[in-house]
Amino acid sequence: MYEETGCFDPNSMAEGGDDGISQSVKHHKEDDAAVSAIELELQKHLAFNVEDTHTQSISINSNTHSIHDPANQNHQILPPYEHSHSNWDSGVVSADHMGGFDQNENDQSQQSFINTDISSSFAQSQTPPLLNLLQFPRCTTSSMLPPNSSISFTNPDHHFPVPPPTSTDVLYDPLFHLNLPPQPQPPLFRELFQSIPHGYSFPASASRAAANSLFGEIGDERDATGAFYEDGDVGVHLDNRVLEFSRDLGCIGRRRETAGKPTKHFATERQRREQLNGKFKALKDLVPNPTKNDRASVVGDAIEYIKELLRTVNELKLLVEKKRCVRERRKRHRTEDDDEGMKPLVDPADQSYNSSLRSSWLQRKSKDTEVDVRIIDDEVTIKLVQRKKIDCLLFVSRVLDELQLDLHHVAGGHIGDYYSFLFNTKIYEGSSVYAGSIANKLIEVMDKQYAAVPPTSCAY
Amino acid sequence: MEFVGSASTQSCITQKRGRRVYGDDRDFKSKNLTAERRRREKLSNRLLTLRSLVPIITNMNKATIVEDAITYIEKLQMTVKVLSDQLLEMESSSEESERPRNDEINAAEEMKKHGIEEKVEVTNVDGCKLWIRIISEKKRSRITKFLEAMASHGFELSDTNVTTFKGATLISSCLNGVYSYKIEAEQVKELLQEIIKSI
Repeated sequence: MYEETGCFDPNSMAEGGDDGISQSVKHHKEDDAAVSAIELELQKHLAFNVEDTHTQSISINSNTHSIHDPANQNHQILPPYEHSHSNWDSGVVSADHMGGFDQNENDQSQQSFINTDISSSFAQSQTPPLLNLLQFPRCTTSSMLPPNSSISFTNPDHHFPVPPPTSTDVLYDPLFHLNLPPQPQPPLFRELFQSIPHGYSFPASASRAAANSLFGEIGDERDATGAFYEDGDVGVHLDNRVLEFSRDLGCIGRRRETAGKPTKHFATERQRREQLNGKFKALKDLVPNPTKNDRASVVGDAIEYIKELLRTVNELKLLVEKKRCVRERRKRHRTEDDDEGMKPLVDPADQSYNSSLRSSWLQRKSKDTEVDVRIIDDEVTIKLVQRKKIDCLLFVSRVLDELQLDLHHVAGGHIGDYYSFLFNTKIYEGSSVYAGSIANKLIEVMDKQYAAVPPTSCAY
Repeated sequence: MEFVGSASTQSCITQKRGRRVYGDDRDFKSKNLTAERRRREKLSNRLLTLRSLVPIITNMNKATIVEDAITYIEKLQMTVKVLSDQLLEMESSSEESERPRNDEINAAEEMKKHGIEEKVEVTNVDGCKLWIRIISEKKRSRITKFLEAMASHGFELSDTNVTTFKGATLISSCLNGVYSYKIEAEQVKELLQEIIKSI
């Protein structure tokens, strides 16, 4: 391994345009420790003659001790300087220039020194250090930046061709050992993440993502970036990931029990048909109230069901938000020394959520009962049709009490073979029932009652 | 069954078309070309609608549309489950609200304000049938208790209507006695008044 620290004497730093370099270094003052470390390293490598060599040398030495191990990797950290770009083309230089430490030329030495750095690192392993050089962004000292994402915006500045991404044998994270706090992701990375379909997760973290990420959330960024690094594979592009992902999505689809083969090679047309029928059947099994069994109805039911699920999701989100707002408000109430007259100001964020009208509608059918629940704001309208003859009013009323719904209006009665009722109720404040829960509970109670009644009930 | 049927009809169709291709009879067409065409168009349109709903689609053929829809539905179901669990958890950890008491106080006051009186009316329309009309103050879960009381006394209510207005509840119903003896209206009226007072 190329060791610079051992043979390097800070006192022999040549004078030169250290101002330019140090100024560019001073741009990155976001993390003082890292930057100062980098700065010191740079000054060391670029053969500067530092003003206070005395104090600096001491600090440099102490620093080099502390970061001795990553020093080798740190050698490769060189923020792309504007004035040194032209020299990249003549990049590969033999290691003879290593002796150029004590040269006293300014730019030449710097550049040749840079070249020697590059070349020496080139000598070790061809592509990765260069890759790392490419990766280092202009503006941040982020250590969590995955290499590939910055290639797209630093590349145009460099004139040499991008080496093909190969997997390296060394995990290269130059600043990793400095334990920098995770920087916020640069915008490009965020965009890349957002371009991946929301709500879907990388196969590795599927279960976690389901728990964490809902629609519209980017999900566990840290975990995802961690996943990149855990690979130990710096050269993996995000593009590859996306390709893998879409392939995996296909695999997930095909891995389903109904779909037979992992790769769609049909021996016969018949098998293709059977697979297709299997998929239709799977769709039918997902839908709660399947009506007819032919393909068009299955698809129609699926359409309605998807719409209903979307409505439910929106409703639940709204409810969760409302609950959260109420909680926050209560906490604020308690923490303030309040008298009843003083109400905390409602945030605009709260208002935006509370002012949106809650609306939801769904239908559920069981063998003897049909339930239609519509919710607008805090009013719930329930339509109930039952086939058999039991006293459903009582049970329904009980259920509504349990669900904290205030009966305002009931109308209905006996129609031929059916009981048909319409309930207008209001939700008591503070209760957070949603349409699905009401419908499910009603169906459940009704079915239980039907099960309890013997088949031959006396006619009234 | 239906799938077998559709598969068989499909195969039948191909057979029929096949027969046509084999040059059996140039004018031999599928028995109901227009109906079949309409059926296929219907399915095709619905598949297009399904595709428009699903945000993530891979390929554009029938099989993958259905597959993507399945994935999407499962995803949505999981989201619903997660959200509802979250809601339940929030609910269990939140505090009780003091609101219902206020409602009850308001109800009584409103009734008095509007001059609505509590009343019980019973009319005998037939041997066992009575029409009843009850106006009472609106209280939480009063209706449930009333219904339970009715059931426990052996009365069956058919054609019930309940209305609420300004803190008062109006219940009108047709009361049928389960036991086939004749029920006196007055007795029932007193019974009902007692019940209302007690709940």
